[in-house]
Amino acid sequence: MSITLAIDTSTSRTSVALISNKSVLWSEYEDGVTAHAEAVPRLVQKALVINDEISQVIVGMGPGPYTGLRAGISFAQAFAWARNIELRGVCSLDAIACTAAEYIAATDARRKEIYWAHYKDGMRVDGPHVNVPTEVRGELFVGEGAHKYGLCSTSTYPDVSIFHLLSAVDQPMYLRRPDAVPTSER
Amino acid sequence: MSQPLILGIETSCDETAIGIVKGRVLLANEIASSVQEHARFGGVVPEIASRAHLEAMIPSLNRALKAAKVSLSDIDAIAVTAGPGLVGALLVGTSTAAAIALALDKPLYGVNHLAAHISVDYLTHDKAIEPTIALLVSGGHSSILQINDITSSITSLGSTMDDAAGEAFDKIARVMGLGFPGGPAIDLESKNGDSSAINFPRGLTQAEDWRTRPYDFSFSGLKTAVARYLESTPHYKKGDVAASFQEAIVDVLLQKSVAACAATGIQSLVIAGGVAANSRLRELAEQRCQDAGVQLRIPSPLLCTDNGAMVAALGSLMSSAGRPHSAIDLSASSNLSVTTVSV
Repeated sequence: MSITLAIDTSTSRTSVALISNKSVLWSEYEDGVTAHAEAVPRLVQKALVINDEISQVIVGMGPGPYTGLRAGISFAQAFAWARNIELRGVCSLDAIACTAAEYIAATDARRKEIYWAHYKDGMRVDGPHVNVPTEVRGELFVGEGAHKYGLCSTSTYPDVSIFHLLSAVDQPMYLRRPDAVPTSER
Repeated sequence: MSQPLILGIETSCDETAIGIVKGRVLLANEIASSVQEHARFGGVVPEIASRAHLEAMIPSLNRALKAAKVSLSDIDAIAVTAGPGLVGALLVGTSTAAAIALALDKPLYGVNHLAAHISVDYLTHDKAIEPTIALLVSGGHSSILQINDITSSITSLGSTMDDAAGEAFDKIARVMGLGFPGGPAIDLESKNGDSSAINFPRGLTQAEDWRTRPYDFSFSGLKTAVARYLESTPHYKKGDVAASFQEAIVDVLLQKSVAACAATGIQSLVIAGGVAANSRLRELAEQRCQDAGVQLRIPSPLLCTDNGAMVAALGSLMSSAGRPHSAIDLSASSNLSVTTVSV
């Protein structure tokens, strides 16, 4: 049996799931904008009680607020390394479920901005990018970031139970450069 | 039980550092530093450091296992710096450590970075010297501590009221155009100068200070004095300024440390932390401790700056002493008190 451990920390929700072939064996989340680093080990510890025979780890590579995002990625890469199993990254926005033919998925990027991507017929056609909400054109919005700025009525989060269906991403999606000014430019 | 094999992970600032220790024997000490990426910003940029930790972590772990000639399955416990430090940087370490602990089903020790700096001394000596006075001097901290038991009992006798010693080195190096990090730059420049050329002030050494706060430090007055001197002396000699500034810091650090030994009757001093790599501090400490009859220990310069061996060393001491391990969801704390040895 092939078991996937799926982890996402790209939003205020820390989600962990165990996926066996195509079915979800177990899934749980904890909410909290600064709780990712504690929540991930807590949730994975529960997952291991359900099934310890993990053969693959898939982690959301963002985009997302950096510190929380890195807690998930750090954990995932170290777990996969320690167990000597496959590690795969995915774009977290790709996992925000929407049944419409065309939509914008958006998460909160702080600093009055959103991380967003444009989806058409089940494919990401633009993004991910980071912008202020008024700069993003679209008819239908989904996601925590869209909800925060009144672009949709409910808040939805990346669904880790579909991570195994998404295409791979190699690097963390930071989208912004670190804030720092070289001393020579001050 | 045979000697525990401990993996130590340190990511509190700009060094991704992995150490492996068996009992008190150092097997590996791998350090990947992002310091060059910070140099043009004149200081450590937390986000740059955190991104670098994530990238450097797995390669560093692999290098450490290879250097130690052990396999991951032989590791008995994982120790990690839980603070103090940059929170984003710390979390890369704690998340990594928790993952390895869960993956291998081994205990996890979240330890104090400052206590770890002192414990590294235990790797170079067979016998513990406890109780001891410790002078802990780094980029973020300057304290005089009384160590009764490194795994459980650390008392702070005094600390800096403003800048840490290492921070003062960085700031003065910046105004003198000597670059970052400032400690090694000033140490090097001082070799071309006369340490008695300029009599810079020694903070908190007035009679009143010795009565009310004998083991506290203040370096802001010294910093201002150096800045004023540079402004008012257009053709100053860099070497003289560097050497005189360094002498003022080192002199105060040692006056107060030796006084703490005398007052407590503990004739033993350990000097630890990044500033303990300073050559003048090491030289003058030898001299002052010899004069005062104090037994001195300073780790080798490589073990003074941030490293993983020190974290593994403290983990090993915790494990051997039977101290409880940490919860798997331990919290990293940017301002963890020096007296909290583990979380």
